[in-house]
Order: sequence, then structure tokens, then C-alpha cells
Amino acid sequence: MTKAKATKPRSSRLEPVVWSLFAAGGTVAALLLPVHVAILGIAYAAGWLPSDALSYDHALDLVRHPITKVYLGVLVALPLYHAAHRLRFVIHHQLGLHGGRRLVAAACYGTALAGTALTVVTLVRI
Amino acid sequence: MSGTQDGRSPAYVRPMPRTWWLRTHRYRRFALREITSVAVAASSVILLTLLFALSRGRDAYEGFLGWLDSSGAVVLSAIILVGVLYHTITWLRLTAHIQVVRLGRRVLPRRLVLAGLLTLWVAVSAIVAYLHIWL
Repeated sequence: MTKAKATKPRSSRLEPVVWSLFAAGGTVAALLLPVHVAILGIAYAAGWLPSDALSYDHALDLVRHPITKVYLGVLVALPLYHAAHRLRFVIHHQLGLHGGRRLVAAACYGTALAGTALTVVTLVRI
Repeated sequence: MSGTQDGRSPAYVRPMPRTWWLRTHRYRRFALREITSVAVAASSVILLTLLFALSRGRDAYEGFLGWLDSSGAVVLSAIILVGVLYHTITWLRLTAHIQVVRLGRRVLPRRLVLAGLLTLWVAVSAIVAYLHIWL
């Protein structure tokens, strides 16, 4: 049995922000992640790429460009908010853990925030 | 029937078995769509790991490339790729469902909006692949 809980008006202030990040992240993930996973995860190991496509010097050149940095920041960070929002409800709906709603939300969005910080710091240091 | 402790309007919550989402085809598809978020998160983590390795220098980066070449990484990537592809298809269908596109007075049919989004996805993927591999 689950307890009925009245929705708290307090949380609704953040709802538009959370939803915008969820939607933006979902779109970035949908349009951009498959090609990156296919290149790095499959094409590289299969030997379909030119020999220096992922070489250290080439990768460094590419990633040091400011436009690439902005692109990579968006590519890595935004999908984290999408995943955080969905995983939050996977934990409640699919795993059947109905308690600790605030804790689960804080853990999910907190992880996305930490991932964003790590991404920004990493990109700045390259 | 049960009332809430704080005296607000009583609400009856129907007890649900934990596996409700396995019951029908529709529920299972919904659950699968939500679970693709694990693949989305994993993709981000892999990309972040690559960037982190790159920031640590040549040895770390080449170590990461060595991992990408392992059979374990390929199997994991294949699973993640299936997940993100499923996310792409369902997300673009969802977008076509929500986003109304008007041309003058006419509303573009959903099928055409979806076709446009899929074309956009293929074009963007081709551009990314070109810049990533040959630039």
C-alpha cells in the first residue's frame, strides 16, 4: 500500500526548470548520442575509422577549440538531467520504491549537477 | 477507503502490485522507454570519461582507447546503442505528437512532422560523424 500525499506547492516552483532541462536533455540525447556511441563504441573497435581519427594529438586539437568545448558541454551535461528525471520515476514506478521521494529526487538531480560540474571543470582543464 | 492524517480530502489509493508495468504490451513499452534513460546516462558517463582521460594526458587517454578496443566495451556499447536508438525513436515520436507545426492556416500532419524530425536526426548524425572523423 502506498500513502496518498498532498502535492507540495513548494516543489512546483522548480518544476518548470526541471521540465525544461528534461526536455532539452531528451532532445540532445535523441539527436546526438547514437552517432557518438556508434563512433566511439563500435566503429573504433571495428577498425572502421581512419587510423588517426581518435589519436591523442588530433583529439586534443579538436577538443581545445572553444566551439567544440561548448558542444561537448551541452552533449555530456544536458542528457544527465533527462536521465535523472526519468530514473527518478523508474525508481518509484518500476522498482516499486515509493518512499523517500525527496531523497530520490535530490540524489538524481544532485548527481546530474555534480556531473555538470565535473564536465565543466574537465573541459576547462583540457 | 482511507483518509489522510492531516484531515485533508480523503483519497483511496488502489493497491498496485510491484510488477504492474509488466502486465500489458503498452505498459511494457512505456517501462522500456523510461529505462532507456539508463543508456542515456551511460553514454554521458562514457563521453565524460573520455574527456577526463584526455585532460589527464597521453597515457590516460591511450589507456581509455585501449578499453574502447576491448570486447567488453564493444558489448556494452552495443547494448547502450540499442537503448539510445530506442530513446531517439520514441522521443522524436513524442515530439511529433506534442509539437504542432502550422503552415499558414494548415496544420502539418504528424507523420510529416515525424519524417522531418527523423531527417533532421540523420542529417545531424552525418554532420557530427563527418566533423568527428575527418576534420
